[in-house]
Amino acid sequence: MVSTEGRDKLAIETMALTKMYRDKAAVKNVTLKVREGEIYGFIGRNGAGKSTALKMVSGLASPTEGEIRLFGKPVSDPAVRRRLGVLIEAAGLYPNMTARQNAVMKAKCMGLADERSVDTVLKVTGLADTGRKKVKHFSMGMKQRLGVALALLGNPDLLLMDEPINGLDPEGIRELRQLILELHAEGKTILISSHILGELSKIATSYGIIKDGELIEQISREELEEKCQDYFRIEVQDVQRALVMIQETFPDVQAEVSDARSIRLYGVQDGAEVNQMLIENRVSVYESGFHHMDLEEYFLERMGKEGGR
Amino acid sequence: MFNLLSMDLYRVKRSKSVYVCFLLLAAATVLVYGIMWLLEMPKGQEIALRIGLLVPQEVTEAESILDGIDSLGFFRQICLDGGMYNVVFGIWVMLFICADFQSGFIKNIMALHQNRWNYIGSKIMTAWIVDGCYLVLHLLFALLMNRLFDDLVPYAGWKDILFYLSWVWFVTAAFAALIIFICVLTRSVAAGSLAAVLLGGGLVVTALYGVLNMFNIGDWLKYSIYLTCAMGPQKYTSVKNLYVYVVGFGFLILYTLIAGIVLKKKDI
Repeated sequence: MVSTEGRDKLAIETMALTKMYRDKAAVKNVTLKVREGEIYGFIGRNGAGKSTALKMVSGLASPTEGEIRLFGKPVSDPAVRRRLGVLIEAAGLYPNMTARQNAVMKAKCMGLADERSVDTVLKVTGLADTGRKKVKHFSMGMKQRLGVALALLGNPDLLLMDEPINGLDPEGIRELRQLILELHAEGKTILISSHILGELSKIATSYGIIKDGELIEQISREELEEKCQDYFRIEVQDVQRALVMIQETFPDVQAEVSDARSIRLYGVQDGAEVNQMLIENRVSVYESGFHHMDLEEYFLERMGKEGGR
Repeated sequence: MFNLLSMDLYRVKRSKSVYVCFLLLAAATVLVYGIMWLLEMPKGQEIALRIGLLVPQEVTEAESILDGIDSLGFFRQICLDGGMYNVVFGIWVMLFICADFQSGFIKNIMALHQNRWNYIGSKIMTAWIVDGCYLVLHLLFALLMNRLFDDLVPYAGWKDILFYLSWVWFVTAAFAALIIFICVLTRSVAAGSLAAVLLGGGLVVTALYGVLNMFNIGDWLKYSIYLTCAMGPQKYTSVKNLYVYVVGFGFLILYTLIAGIVLKKKDI
């Protein structure tokens, strides 16, 4: 486990990171901070700039502007690069080689003399028994797991994973989640980008939301929990009338109109009281109930809000 | 860079393409020796007459086309003078480089090696090693064929062989650097193959020669990779013969530098 002191140190720090492709900015002024020992969920729509940002952090693309520091040192430092394991987009594998040969290649690339580490990562990812089967005959999930195995070679302190659960079956996803949690328990810092927010919310300890190349929010799991507080949702015939009555009757309750027929009420203790009050005042209530916002809802809401800026 | 070289050599040993390309060179050598044996040697001519490849008049009237050619001269005519070697070797280099980009393994490499020169250096050295092996083994194979085909041509002296192989090794390595540059730039098997065939086969140089000759500057092309391979000296007779090393080394450095700069400029 990482010490409290370790948690305050930054594993990744980007300062005003920008990447331009001709006139279009794929990443704009991103200042990302990932503390050591975190599982950082990097969220954004397709084309939001997640992969470009991760490519810059992993050294595969050079920033147009800005600076990247890993463990407090410039990203170009070879010593720092050895502490980094990367799985960006599809796993990069030679199709005519076996899983072990691919892993040996990566080990040689790193200068690892001892091939036992190759066997260890293959065992950890469940690929130790693939024998002479070539990668071109692997399923998508197996290729993805081999990509993870390659990223784990050299026992890196920081793992960057771009959509690592793509193509994995439910069992594979569960195994990978378990593996990520184990690696986290060992003190590794993990940055994962994923579209599968439900899955991400099971493991991430903090999040960064990127939209149109801009990092619109960085939030810890605790802060997210606080923001995703329970609310009482009512669907009524006349939103305006209902809103006035609720504000008069329950002054401590915060109300938010979510669409033409729905109101979200924060701070409601007893939903029945609200329903009763509205019905007594002849406001038809079609539906009501307590609700807990999850990461997906929060993300979509943020996207909606930002879209409306 | 030596970590990458070790990785590349590991891959070379396990890739089929390196063996297939050598088999192509060997097959072409067998074919040429076989045909020349049928046309030139009495035993071969007997068979050629029997199968209708030659008519008796041709046998009596024909002048030997192998007159004045020794084993080294015959080897270079089969292998390098027509550009076959550069086409086959260029295709192997193209497959070797493009596989990194097409498979995506380049991401694993570049995430570790921020210094792009390590990558280029390793590829050039690997190509140079394979080039050396190809040239030596191909020559040995050609000599074996000469022996098997009744000593079709007289054997060349070992000093001439050493001189010739040493400069050809430089010049063909420069050609490998050119193909590496094109593959790093285009990252395309199609573009790499086309370049290997057009440049290795001398089509570009021939076309260029036609154009430059209109301005009476076509002779400069004798310092191109293709024409140096085709027309470079077979024996060391004077210091002037050493220009081939300058051509080989010059182009090797030039294309290595351009390939490195292109790789540095482009994202993975």
